[in-house]
Parts: sequence; structure tokens; C-alpha cells
Amino acid sequence: MNASPSGSVARSRRRKKLLRHGAVIASLSMWSVFALAPLVWIVMMSFKKAEDIVAYPPTFVFTPTLTNYVEVLSSAKFMAPFVNSLIVTVGSLLVTVVIGLPTAYALARFSFRGRENIAFGILSLRFAPELLIILPLYLLFQKAGLYDSHLGLILAYQLVTLPMLVWMLRSFIEDLPGELEEAVAMDGGTRWTAFRHVLLRLIAPGLGASLMLSFVWAWNSYTLPLVLAGKNTQVITTGIQQYISAQSIDWGPMAAATVVSLIPGILFAVFSLRWIVGGLTAGTVKG
Amino acid sequence: MKPKPHLPYLLVLPALAVLVAVLYPFLTGVWWSFTSYRLNRGAPTFNGGANYLNLFVTGEGLHAIGITLLYAVVVVSVECVLGIGLAMLLNYGPYGSTFRLLIVLPLLLPPVIAALMWKVMLTENGVVNWLLEAVGQPGLLWLNGLDSALWSVMIIDIWIFTPFVVLLAQAGLRSVPQELREASAVDGAGPVRNFFSITLPMLVPVLIVIIAFRGIDSLKMFDIIYTTTKGGPVDATTNLHVLAYLDGIRNMNFGAAMAALVVLWVLCNLLSSVLLRARRTEAGA
Repeated sequence: MNASPSGSVARSRRRKKLLRHGAVIASLSMWSVFALAPLVWIVMMSFKKAEDIVAYPPTFVFTPTLTNYVEVLSSAKFMAPFVNSLIVTVGSLLVTVVIGLPTAYALARFSFRGRENIAFGILSLRFAPELLIILPLYLLFQKAGLYDSHLGLILAYQLVTLPMLVWMLRSFIEDLPGELEEAVAMDGGTRWTAFRHVLLRLIAPGLGASLMLSFVWAWNSYTLPLVLAGKNTQVITTGIQQYISAQSIDWGPMAAATVVSLIPGILFAVFSLRWIVGGLTAGTVKG
Repeated sequence: MKPKPHLPYLLVLPALAVLVAVLYPFLTGVWWSFTSYRLNRGAPTFNGGANYLNLFVTGEGLHAIGITLLYAVVVVSVECVLGIGLAMLLNYGPYGSTFRLLIVLPLLLPPVIAALMWKVMLTENGVVNWLLEAVGQPGLLWLNGLDSALWSVMIIDIWIFTPFVVLLAQAGLRSVPQELREASAVDGAGPVRNFFSITLPMLVPVLIVIIAFRGIDSLKMFDIIYTTTKGGPVDATTNLHVLAYLDGIRNMNFGAAMAALVVLWVLCNLLSSVLLRARRTEAGA
């Protein structure tokens, strides 16, 4: 039945397509290996004994041990920065929501003098070199007693979290028709009830996405705590460097600490990838 | 709803307060950039732009500016090419979503920690050199080599941030109407022609956003460089941001540090204003 010429054309086309899919899958696999190899390596290292870690050639087969994790999770050297990171990140997100949500709403729903300037001013916080603001802030904080305090870090982290939240939320709100709220007003509701009962529910996914992205960014932040955090407020990104001293590196505990500190970001990611993409691209790729 | 002219201002008031609060350290920093200010030697004294002169005349300053620009240009171009390529591959078949999760993972790690992971693998006796030797190549110095340090840092940047381009490019590609591509294929356009005359032009708005974010972030890159090389060996990886940190925190020379930062800030602003204009033209066209 394949004797007809059209059948053989279809077959060769199908083979070509199969070949092309094969090539695509092969290239994607290659990049995935490149993307995952360092992660796999650090996870393996976190389960190795000290002598397996320094072995050369590197060992791929070894008896796994939990010593590194036990050491990391039971020492203040790691747990204190981990807790500090949680306090500072969550705290700065709360402040950001309180400041950012009304701002995003105003920027999206009203037209008023200076609106674009304010919007751009907020975004420019994200685009300025951090140290330009942090170095003077360092002296200011020392005078004000905010240096090496959670509150100081929470305030400073607004540089990271506020611009993202406001810009993402603004485009989420702009995407929703204003008539929704006007309908509530028609029924005698106030702007506040409209906001609370209609808009807030509709932007919930957008708010979630913006919060998650801000969370990851704050959690990952390095420059700010490097300058503004002291002994008491070290966060995870600066704290992990303690395993590296001029003389030696504690490879095993460092690897375990790394793995533990990756978990929050990855958890967030797995649950919110779609939202994050939507949020980042809202307003740019409409249509 | 009755217009209440003061309401929007009331709502943005807290954010305005933050902006004003940031303006103070910012202006302080700009003022310091025009002074001799060493933290251990008293108050700042105006020195008429000597810091800037130093930056543009001494080898150290010019070198840092060169590194900053080279880093940004290389990293952003490579990430754009790889990112768009990967995004197209991901959109090709039904297996895209599985691969996407794998490909995107590096983006979620703190860059500092990702950089540390690479540092571990790139040591002299690390797994990468072992792999090289296994295929008969000599091992490299990577982050410790005068010539290789900058490229090694760039590889780490590309590893972390290519997924960012992938995510945005994928979303951008989704907005390219399928019919357009099919129509041009029917008209006999090959895949290459198709890409350059249809897909790429449609990607321009997203590309502008990508270049803005990645461009500015890589101009002011600090995390990866400082955790892996601290700017070294010698000054092979010292860009403006790292130079400013070394000047300011290590040498307590705040004047010089601020001058480097102001120059960096101007570079970032130039890039964003060029891109904003491009976007406006794009939107108007």
C-alpha cells in the first residue's frame, strides 16, 4: 500500500520530522546537562565524607553520609544566618506590600501629575548600582543605630523588593478593565469596597507572582547584607562564605549549607514559574 | 466614582517617602565623588573632580571601565543568542515544558551560591579539569588565571542568566502569530529567512526588555565576580562595581569609590534611556 509516490513522500517527510525532533531533544538535553551538572555535583558533595571530597580523580561512587547536614543544621554558624534571612526577607516583603500595593493601584488607575516620573523613579531604584546608595547608607545607619539590625536591613531591602512589586502589580491591574470597579460603584459601593471585594481578588495571582519574585530576589541579595549586616544579622548569602577562610575551605558543610539554602527558592519556583513569566512579560508582549 | 484629586497622591505617599529617603544617601554619594574622603581621615573636602580625573587617566580606572563594558557586551550577546535559540527549541515540540523546568533551575539559585558552586568545580583539582584531562586536554587555571579569569566568570554569568532570556523569549515567541510563519513558508521562505524576516522583528519589544534588564545587571555585576575572584588575579576581573567596593570598603577611600559608582550609574542610565527610546519608537511604529 506504500507503493504510491505520495506515500513515500509522506514517509520521508515523517522521517525528516522525526529526525528534527531528535535533534531538538538532543540539543535541549545537552543544555540541561550543562544546567544541572553543578547542582548534581554540589548535592553529591554534600553527602560525601571529607576524604571523598578531596580525592583526585573525583569519586562518583561513594558511601553517602549525613554528617555534613547534621553539622550544618545543628550549628548556629548556619542556622543563625538562615533564620536572619527568613526574618529579613519576610519582613521586607510585608513592608513592600504595604507601600507597594496602594502605589501600584494609584499608578494603574489614576492619571495625575507626575505619575510617570514617580513610576520611573521607583523603577530606577532597581537600575542604580547598589553600592552608590549603600555605601552612604552604611555611615547613615551607623549614626542612626540601624547598622547590623534587622530593621535596617528590612528598610534597605526595599531597594530590591519595592521596584519589582510595583511594576509587576501595576501592569496586572492595568490589564483588568476599570469597568469592574465602576460597576461596584454603580451599586453604591465605595472605591474601597470595590478594591477589597473585586480588584484584590482578581489580582491575587499577580500579587502572588510579584511577591514570589521579590522573595527570590531578596533571598538572593548579596551586596546589601555584605555592607549593612554585621555579626548579628548575617544572612544566608554572606553567611555561607564563613565556610571559606583564607587557609581552608570546609567543602562538605559548605555543600550541605548550599543545598539547604537553595530549597526555598526552588520551592517557590516550582509553584510559580508560570505566574512569574506572566508577570515579567505583562505589558510587553500583549496581543 | 467621584474624582478625588488628592487620593492618588495619598496612595503613592509612602512610596514617595521611600524615594526621598533614598535620594539623601544618593546625593551624599554624588557629593562624596567630588571630594577627598577617606573614612579614617576626617570630613570630606572638595577636590574639584580629581577622583574622576584619576578614574579616566590612571590605568586602573580605564581598565575597570573596559572590563565593565566587555563583560556586559559579551555576556548579554551570548545570553541573547543562546536564550532565543533554546526558547525556539522549547517551543518546537510537546516536550518543552519538561525541559523548561530543568533549564530554568539555575536562575532560582542565589547568584552568589551558584558562583560558589562553580568555584568548587573550577579549582585546579576540580571536576572540570578532571573531565578535561579525561578527554586528553590539559587542565586550565580558570578563575586563577590572568587570561582566563574573566572568561570563567562570564561562563558562570551565562550559566545563571541564560534561563532569564529563555523565559522572556518564550513568552515573546508565543505572540508571533503562527499564520504569519505558515504563510511565509508557503511563499517559499526557508527557516533562516523566516527567522530573520518574521520571528526576529516580532521579538524586538521583548528583546528590548531583555537587553535592558540583562544589560544593566551585567554592567553593575558584583555578586558573581566578588565571590569567585574578588576582582583578581591582580585586577583581571575588577569592573567598576568591584573597584568601588575595594576602594570604599577595603581602602576606606569613599571619594574614589563614589566616582567609580557615579560613572557606572551614568552608563546604566545611558543604556536604559537608549532602550526606552527604542521602545517608544517601536510602540509608535
